[in-house]
Amino acid sequence: MGCQHLDELYELWLLGALSEANSRDLREHLARGCPHCLGRIREATETVYVLGLASKPDRPPARVKSELLREIARKTPTHR
Amino acid sequence: MSEELPAEQLLARVAHHDIDALSELYDRYVPRIYGMVARILPSRASAEEVLQELFLRLWSESAALNEQGKSVTAWLIVTAREAAVHRLRALRKKAAEAAPSNHGAETTKKVLHRQRAKSVVPTSSTEKSEVKSPGGISEAWRGHSPDGVSVACPVPIAWLPQPSEVTRIDDRLVLLCKVIDQLPKPQRQALELAVFDGLNENEIAAELGEPLGKVRTSLRAALTFVKHRRRAVCGSWAANI
Repeated sequence: MGCQHLDELYELWLLGALSEANSRDLREHLARGCPHCLGRIREATETVYVLGLASKPDRPPARVKSELLREIARKTPTHR
Repeated sequence: MSEELPAEQLLARVAHHDIDALSELYDRYVPRIYGMVARILPSRASAEEVLQELFLRLWSESAALNEQGKSVTAWLIVTAREAAVHRLRALRKKAAEAAPSNHGAETTKKVLHRQRAKSVVPTSSTEKSEVKSPGGISEAWRGHSPDGVSVACPVPIAWLPQPSEVTRIDDRLVLLCKVIDQLPKPQRQALELAVFDGLNENEIAAELGEPLGKVRTSLRAALTFVKHRRRAVCGSWAANI
């Protein structure tokens, strides 16, 4: 009850685009464990996912992957 | 013709430190992730660093993600955006500190835009934006990281979609991207500044030279449109867009 006005803020909040005052209200409200808002925030995460994909795919140089795998092997000497 | 393993099966193997599974996840999703991160950041070098840090994080956090049965694809995209935006804001902050103080925020933006165009921004060392709060939920309650840079809300694993929901979105991604293209230009412009330039409402208003109220209305309208269209496209295939 009393939180429908927050419905249009979840996506903005997840994007980090909300003003600090509104963010604070939302955080305080969520901290009380509102089930409606927790459901909406999960849905908002899907929208953020969709928005993130609105870019043209691109490929980094191959060395990025080899450096990554080397770093992982270094950090995890017993892998596999 | 070999069958492609579901991402969650690969995640389960990564959780058991199977480096080949991580390599496969990387190959499968890196074009999407890098496309987004390179759009957000001003240099390819910093985008590459974010990419490496992301997969190192996946390596160490895969067990928790696997246990909760959440989509690894969504985790990769949402976490990569958070990390890239955090880095962008750190670069912006550094540029603001380096710029003469009387030039203000306008100069900072110009500096960053110039850097972005020339792709010459030096990369910074590893940054950590995530602080755990009681109950294992990421620190979504602060709005600032320990280095003082304001952050996008770190999304706890529990808030991520299920793999089936992400599959439904991915199957309709072409349509969903078309939805974003359908936004009126002012709304789309404001939304892109939020999503890919890491700006908040106040910063977008300053960037566009528009009143804050107008920007707020544009952003809310844009996100409501995208949300409703996503529901229609994912919930009812017959939706006419």
